[in-house]
Amino acid sequence: MTDPQRYSALATILAAAGMWLLLPRAGARGKAVGAVLVAAAGGLLLSQVPALNGWTAQGTFYLLVVVTLGSAVATVSLASPVYSAIWFGMSLAGTAGLFLYQGAEFLAAATIVVYAGAILVTFLFVLMLAQPRGRARYDRVSWEALVSAATGAVMSGVLAIAVVAALHPRTQGGPGLQTTERAELVQHVLAEDHVAQIGRELYGRHLLAVEVAGVLLLAALVGTAAIVSSRAESGRRTAAEEIRGVSEPLSSRPRA
Amino acid sequence: MSELALLENYLIVGAMLFGIGLIGFLARRNMIVMFLCAEMMLQGVSVSLVAWGRFHNDFGGQMLVLFMIAVAACEAAVALALILVLFQKTKNLDVAAWHSLREANLPGFQEERLPEPECEEPPAWPHLPPAGVQPPLPQQETEYRRDV
Repeated sequence: MTDPQRYSALATILAAAGMWLLLPRAGARGKAVGAVLVAAAGGLLLSQVPALNGWTAQGTFYLLVVVTLGSAVATVSLASPVYSAIWFGMSLAGTAGLFLYQGAEFLAAATIVVYAGAILVTFLFVLMLAQPRGRARYDRVSWEALVSAATGAVMSGVLAIAVVAALHPRTQGGPGLQTTERAELVQHVLAEDHVAQIGRELYGRHLLAVEVAGVLLLAALVGTAAIVSSRAESGRRTAAEEIRGVSEPLSSRPRA
Repeated sequence: MSELALLENYLIVGAMLFGIGLIGFLARRNMIVMFLCAEMMLQGVSVSLVAWGRFHNDFGGQMLVLFMIAVAACEAAVALALILVLFQKTKNLDVAAWHSLREANLPGFQEERLPEPECEEPPAWPHLPPAGVQPPLPQQETEYRRDV
């Protein structure tokens, strides 16, 4: 094991312990310690990769990462599902910032509009609709908090070790990846008419996929309507049965 | 070299986002929070895809993320409809309420005993001399919650 791999393994253990402390466990203490441990693990993992050019670039990137991952941890660890959903919206905003940092303007806008604007609001709507009174018992406990936290942390740690090993073949002894100097090529994705190029790509090379996605959206719409309307119909039928059940004794009542 | 550093940073962030979502999906019992965490795993993959797309100077990564957003919208619609139907049946969002759908050879779910949450300050009721029957407390005050 080389040094970065050792540090990544240490970060995995720290993250597992921290997430175990942070997950809702019926009012158990130690949330602050867990937050510190998770932050230390994230910093340790991110310190294993080379820095970006310049401190402004690095600072902006770290700010976006803190917003994204901190909100993600809050989503997972807060007991109240409403707070979880709102923190997930914050995490989406951070992800949109990360997209923008990569030059993917259209994706950043689409993430905000579709995820935070439509999907998350629908989630909150259902949450408000289905909010049981009082803090629910099943929100205050977790399934196997330690095993779950260890699983997720090991997953992240293994992925991070694999990334570092794959992209630095000589120093890490990994399989390696063909890298060339691509300073002039990057102008393509980062071009000024980026959105126009995305449209050209979407409706040129991926036209069939766009059509399939449209069919999928229609199928989801019809399916959702079918699921909800079948529930409404069954509810109506039970109401009719109730009326019939009330009227039956009246009709079968013996005449005086 | 900066492009490679950018790719590595983004892949690590994507892996961490995926892992956090995985932890939430495995650990949480609220069905809506589970779906939020599944969406978070999709976000982690999206971050990685965008980074690879920039590194290879190809729009394929961003195209894939666009279609992922479309599929996630479909998934959220169907999942929320199903959650609403399930909520109508059991009146809560606990995924453990559906443990009867497990494999035939697995043991059933047993809820362990939990200490009830202690409330911070008990409400100060006026001390009245015992006379007549005790009036029922207003329901709004017995169910008062400081935080939702």
